[in-house]
Order: sequence, then structure tokens, then C-alpha cells
Amino acid sequence: MRLEMSSNRQQRLCVAMMRNVGGVIVLSLLLVFVQLAAGESFSPPGTPKNIICRSPEKETFTCWWEPGSDGGLPTTYALYYRKENSDTVYECPDYKTAGKNSCFFNKNDTSIWVTYNITVVATNALGRAFSDPVEIDVVYIVMPNPPEEVTVTVIEDTNWPFLRVSWEPPEKADTRSGWITLIYELRIKLENEDEWEVHPAGQQKVFNIFSLRPDSTYHVQVRCKPDHGFWSEWSGTTFVKVPDYFPRERSMWILIAVFAAFIILTFTFIWLSYMKIHNLKHYVLPPVPGPKIKGFDKKALKNGKFEDIFSSLVVSDFPPTTSNYEDFIVENLEVFVPEEQELIMEDSKDLQDDSIKSENSTCDNDSGRGSCDSHTLLIDKGGGDKEEALQSDQEGSQDERVPTSPEEVMEEDLLACCDEKNSPDISEKVKFTPSLISPLPRYNLMNQPNPPEIGKKHCLSDSLLNPDSLPSYFTQPPSTKNDFRSNPWECNFNHKQHPLHPQTTGKEHLQVQNEISWVHVDRTEASLGVQAPSVRSTEYVEVQRVSGGNMVLLHPVSAGQENSGTMSHQTEHYSRVKTVNNDSGLLLLQKESTGEEMGICLSEEEVESRATSNGYTASITPTSEKPMVGINSTLPILDDRMASGYVDTATMFGLPTY
Amino acid sequence: ALFYVLSVSQWGLWILLFWPQHLTLSSPLDCRDDQGSLSRCTSISQEKLLDRVIHHAELIYRVSEELCSLFEELFIPFPFRLQSNQAAYACITKALPIPSSKSEIEQISDKWLLHSVLMLVQSWIEPLTYMQNSMERYDHAPDMVLNKTKWVSEKLFSLEQGVVVLIKKMLDETTLVTVYSDQNTVQNDVQPDVLESVMRDYTLLGCFKKDAHKMETFLKLLKCRQTDKYNCA
Repeated sequence: MRLEMSSNRQQRLCVAMMRNVGGVIVLSLLLVFVQLAAGESFSPPGTPKNIICRSPEKETFTCWWEPGSDGGLPTTYALYYRKENSDTVYECPDYKTAGKNSCFFNKNDTSIWVTYNITVVATNALGRAFSDPVEIDVVYIVMPNPPEEVTVTVIEDTNWPFLRVSWEPPEKADTRSGWITLIYELRIKLENEDEWEVHPAGQQKVFNIFSLRPDSTYHVQVRCKPDHGFWSEWSGTTFVKVPDYFPRERSMWILIAVFAAFIILTFTFIWLSYMKIHNLKHYVLPPVPGPKIKGFDKKALKNGKFEDIFSSLVVSDFPPTTSNYEDFIVENLEVFVPEEQELIMEDSKDLQDDSIKSENSTCDNDSGRGSCDSHTLLIDKGGGDKEEALQSDQEGSQDERVPTSPEEVMEEDLLACCDEKNSPDISEKVKFTPSLISPLPRYNLMNQPNPPEIGKKHCLSDSLLNPDSLPSYFTQPPSTKNDFRSNPWECNFNHKQHPLHPQTTGKEHLQVQNEISWVHVDRTEASLGVQAPSVRSTEYVEVQRVSGGNMVLLHPVSAGQENSGTMSHQTEHYSRVKTVNNDSGLLLLQKESTGEEMGICLSEEEVESRATSNGYTASITPTSEKPMVGINSTLPILDDRMASGYVDTATMFGLPTY
Repeated sequence: ALFYVLSVSQWGLWILLFWPQHLTLSSPLDCRDDQGSLSRCTSISQEKLLDRVIHHAELIYRVSEELCSLFEELFIPFPFRLQSNQAAYACITKALPIPSSKSEIEQISDKWLLHSVLMLVQSWIEPLTYMQNSMERYDHAPDMVLNKTKWVSEKLFSLEQGVVVLIKKMLDETTLVTVYSDQNTVQNDVQPDVLESVMRDYTLLGCFKKDAHKMETFLKLLKCRQTDKYNCA
């Protein structure tokens, strides 16, 4: 019985064991099948990829990697690095600080002097995987943190507000000591836009943004970068709202006003200038004055023929050539032709001063004074008012002595000498006949010392019969006897006159007298200058014949003529033409005896008075009286004339005037 | 034992893996500095290294100058202030065989220039550390002073490393890097008079400033010699 029961149990156990084994096998098979069915395989891990190392401040750095497949098994990662040229392999000291799949190198482990060779290894149960190594130079992997404390403010000082953005470098970056040098960049956009406007900012930490749209919101961001390295991330967005403003209106109106004013002014100016365009034109561009030269032909100028033009301008006479100076100086013979006058007096154009006058007081070739001759030819009535007569004739206050005849002239001289002293007494006596012999101008006996002197000289020389004074003259007279007569009356001051004498022997006396008279006149003339309009051309007049009726025929004397009749004139009639002497053919005006004598006396006196300087003494009388004696009176007419002071011999005597 | 076998095999594999890469990487590649490019030179070029070292020295000098003036303003009363040309004799580095005159400097070789710089740098690491510690014991030392001192100390250490690398590159020599020692801490146990310590620190800072300038000058001269050998002064 008991056997039967145990065998049943053994059989039941075996079956159970077999079932368990089978179950296990089935389970294992199932497991295997399940595993096979799932497709997973345990494999070594995949290689890590993309190792990135960055340093925020060049003092530490961190590396990150991407893990590959892990092969289904738990995989661990390890980072190993070697330093430059060294075979020592180091493992990452810090896997945790920087997060998962990272390695952090602290300051002690970071060196800027060497490069790092970094490899990441993935390990699982089945194998390892090595990543590609990465060469690291810490300096070149610097990527700073973004700038901090970015502030944006709206500056509204002016009518045009703008944004001012300011920031600070990241804290870790040591820019203060110069360990890192950062440059910045900012970007801005309107709130509803997508495009950013990027502005580089260099190393500065402030930036201004203009041209804002009013009443809108802006977004601003900043980032930075070291010299060699990477740009940081953009900072957090800063929002700023620009207020609404209307600045344009005011300034724009101002601009418009200024513009309008400017345009108005311009137009006004143009209009004004247009109205007076000619004036303006002339004002701005004055017309070029044309040449105003006599004889200048503008058209010829335009034609361009310069030689013709300039030749027309050339005055051939100028400059004067050298040979004709004498002509200029002296030879201007003044021919005085009064209405009835035959006598022509010659005046010199010389305007000399007193010195010259003294020289030329007597007639000479240089002076060319017709006055020398003309005076003597003038009929001179006795009387005192020689001066008056002269004055009446002349303009101004100057006395004009009008010699009427040669004799007269002498007389005149004497009378002049005398008269001047006793002018009121003998005023009646002397009459001047300016017509006969043109009076030389300005014959001022009174006013001028020189003429009186010369006249005095005349008187003196004449009266004195001073051979010394008339040496030449004395020599000459032998040829012409008459000269001698004239000597006492002559003041031959100027030897120049000699040439005159040979010319006309016949009229020497006349000439002499003329000379003498003209001496006076010359002097005066010289002293006074050639001024008078009353200067009339004078010519030598010679008494041609004397008619019985106390007429003197005068004819103009020309050079070379001789008047024999005159030869004998001389001695007698120097003082005055009073009578007509048949011999002499001269009309001698008779002075009043008293006048004569007085004249003589006066002349004496005058001479004395004037000769004080010269030392002449009056010894005139005998000689002077002589002619006077012979003088007859046929004076009434003449007296009348003399009274008038200006006797026209021609009219008186009806002489033909040549 | 098994563990060691495993680790050794691991390292062997590691080396085997790296070996060909090392070989491949040893060939000079294009040194590119552009961003995003991960391929770099195997090593930093000598020129770049020298530039960086110089830049480093410049910064150290600048900061030391600031630190010195700041310290002087804060802690040193007027009568005690040193002139720039004084107290050179008190510097700790006067014993070093470092060229000091211009003529000496002109005659010295590049090698000795570098070694001089290294000597200078190495001789200052410890004092600076000490100074840093002593400053921290001041009652009211401002943070700026402390930070600067710390900064300078760190940078100096970094400079040392750079000079070492530079020497290795230029002269192909290997020198030892200073190892921090804890000897200074012993000195800190002594509590000197405050004024004395301040004066000492002040003197130290002055000396350090001068030496920092020397370092910078040497390095710049070295650089000048690299480019234009006969025109450097």
C-alpha cells in the first residue's frame, strides 16, 4: 500500500519539475523571442559630436558635447584633454557646474599659453566611442556674456526727441584692467516690425538713435564681442515708448516764411533792376569811355590801322627842332598898326624881367622892339601930361608914352624927365601923338623906376654929352654925321643897336631917336610886359619930307632905306618935333618955351634926381636947348592935341600913313 | 590584481587610440582663428605667445601701478610716502642677477632676457601672496585693494606659466614651475605692528611695480629683437 502511494508522488514531482523546466525554457525562449522581436540590440555607444568649448572671460572655459546613441545601455561620457605638446592626459575636473554633457575648466586649469586637445568618450557596457578631438586655444573661444543693464531713455530737450541707449559690460568680463576688450552692437525695431536695425557701437557704452516715429514703441537689444572671439547673445529686450510730438509745424512754418521772404526779396530786386536796367547797367558796368583825342579816329582804330591814327595825332612841329630858338625868342616882331598908323612898331615878345629890360632898354636886334623907332616918330606935343596921356590911352594905371616923332621922342624923354618932376606944370605941354608912332604899351614913366631910370639915362647920356657913355656912338657918327647930334640925346645903352644904324643911315637919327624913345618904351614895355591890347604893331617910320606948312611927310622906314634928309635932323629936333625944318625935314613940335626950358630944366632936374645914383649931373641944357631954340611954334593945333594928350600926327598933318 | 590589469589594459587601449591621432595632429594644420572653426593649430605659435605674454605683463604693470597709488592714498600718510627713485635698495629682488642698466640690457642675450623675466616673476609670487594675506588682515581695507592684490597675484602666476612655455618654445628648455609653499603662513602667525606691516606692504608694492615694469620692458625688447634685431633700444 504504501508503495503504491509514493510512486504516485514521485510521478507527480517529476511532472512538476519537468513543467518548471519547460516553463523556464519556454520563458527563456520567450524572452529570447521577445528580445528578438523588439529589434533592440545592445551596442557600444555612438560617438559624441559637436564639442563646443567657450570661455566667457578668458579665465575659464566650458565644453559641451552632443552624445550619440547610447547603444541601449547606460552610457557614461568622459572628457579627456591633453595640453599642448604634452602626453599627459587629464580628465575633466568638473562635469556638473555647466550642466549635462559639459565640462567646466576653472581658473587653475585654464591657461592661455597652451592649447588644449579635448576628446569626449562615451562608454557603455558594450563598448566605447571616442569623439573627434578638438583643439582649443582659450583666447579664441571667448564668448562673453551679453551686456548688462541696458537702459533706454528718451531725450526730449529739443523738438526732436531721440533715444539714448546705455549699457554695461558683462560682469565677468574684465574690461577694466584691459584683460578683455569688448566692442558692442545694438539693434532696434518697432514693435510691430520684424526687421531689426543694427547699429555698431564700437567700444562705447552709450548710443543715440534719432529719427524716431512719434507715438510708437521700440525694442532695443545689445550684444558684445571681444577682439578675437564670438559675439555674445543679444541682451534682453528693452522696451521704450516714444511720445507723440509735433515739432514740425513750428519749424516748418519758419522755414517757409524765410523762404518766402527770400523769394520776395529776390523778385523785388530783379524787378527794380529791370526797371532801371539801363541805370543799373551803367551803375554796375560803366560804359568804357572812348578816346577823346582830337584827330583821333575811332573808326580807324577799329580798323586797326594804328599807324594812321597815331600819325594824325602827331604834331609835326612839335617838339621844336633846335635851330629856331631865336625865332621863338626874339623875332616876334610886334607890328603895331593903328588905324591911321603908318608906323609899325616892333615889339619884342620877350617878356623880360627888369634885368633884361635894362639890357634891352635900347633897341637891339634881340628885343626887336619897334618901340624904339615908333616912339621917336610920334609927334609929341609939349605938355605935361605925358603920363596922363599915356594913362588915358592905356588901360589901367599905366602911363603910355606915345612917341610921336623921333624928335619928339627925344623931347619926350627930356620932357618925361622933366615932366615927371613937374608934371602938373607942364601937363599941357606935352602932347602925345600916339597915332604916329604907335605907342608902346604901358609906358609908365611914373610908376616904374626903371623906365624913368632909363629915360633918365637917356636924358643923362644925352645931356651929358658924355662921350664915355656913347663911345660907340661917337665913333659911328662920322659916317653919319647926324649921329653926333643925336648923341647927347641918345642914350646908347645898347650897343646892339649899332647894327641898326648901318642899316639906315638916313634915318639914323630917327632910329636913334626911335631907339631912345623906344628905350623908354622898351623899358616900360619890358617892365610891363606885353600886355596891352593897345599894343599895336609898330614900324619904323621915317620922315620923308617936310612940307612947308609944317607938314611932315612920314613914310615907313624899311631896313636899308636911307633918308638923307634925316641926316640933318638930328641935332635939332631931338627934344620934340616942333617945327618943320626944311633941312631936316622934320617937324618939330614946339614946346612952350617955358615948357621947353622947364622941360629941359626939368629934365635936368629929373636927370639930377634920377642920376643921383649914377652920378650924372645935369649938363644937358646947352645941347638940349639948342634944338629947343630952333623950335618955332606952330603949336596951337598941337597944343590942342597935346591937351588931349594924344596927338595923332597923321590926322594933324594929314600925313599919309603907310 | 584584476583591477590593475583592467586599468592597465584600459590605458593601453587609450594610448593606442590616441597614438595615431597624435601622429596625425602633430602635422601642422592651418591655424585659423575664425569663429566656429574647431580645427586649431596644435600649438600656439611663438609670436602669438610672445604677444600674449607681453600683454599679460602690461596688464600686470598697469594694475600694480593702480594698486600702489591706491594703497598710498589709503594707508600712507604724506611724510612717509616714497619717491619714485627711492627705496630701490630695499627691494628683495636686488640680489637677483638681473641687468639693471641700459647698456647691460643691450648686451644681454635673448636667453638671459627670458631667464631674467622668469626669475623676476618667480621671485614675486610668494611675496605677493603674503601681501595678499596681510592685507586681508587689515581692519578696513577696501575691497578694491584686496581685489586688485588678488588679481595681480593670480596674473603673476599665470605669467609665470606663460614665460615657462615661452622658454620652452624659444629656448627649448624645460624649467620648473614654482610650487606653492606654505612657508608664508608661518610668517603670518606673527602679528607685526600695523604700521610696520603697512609700511612693509607699501614698500613691497613699490618694488613690485618697478619689477613689473622691468618684466614688461624685457619682454618688449625681446619682441623687438624678434622682428628687427639691430634697431632695438
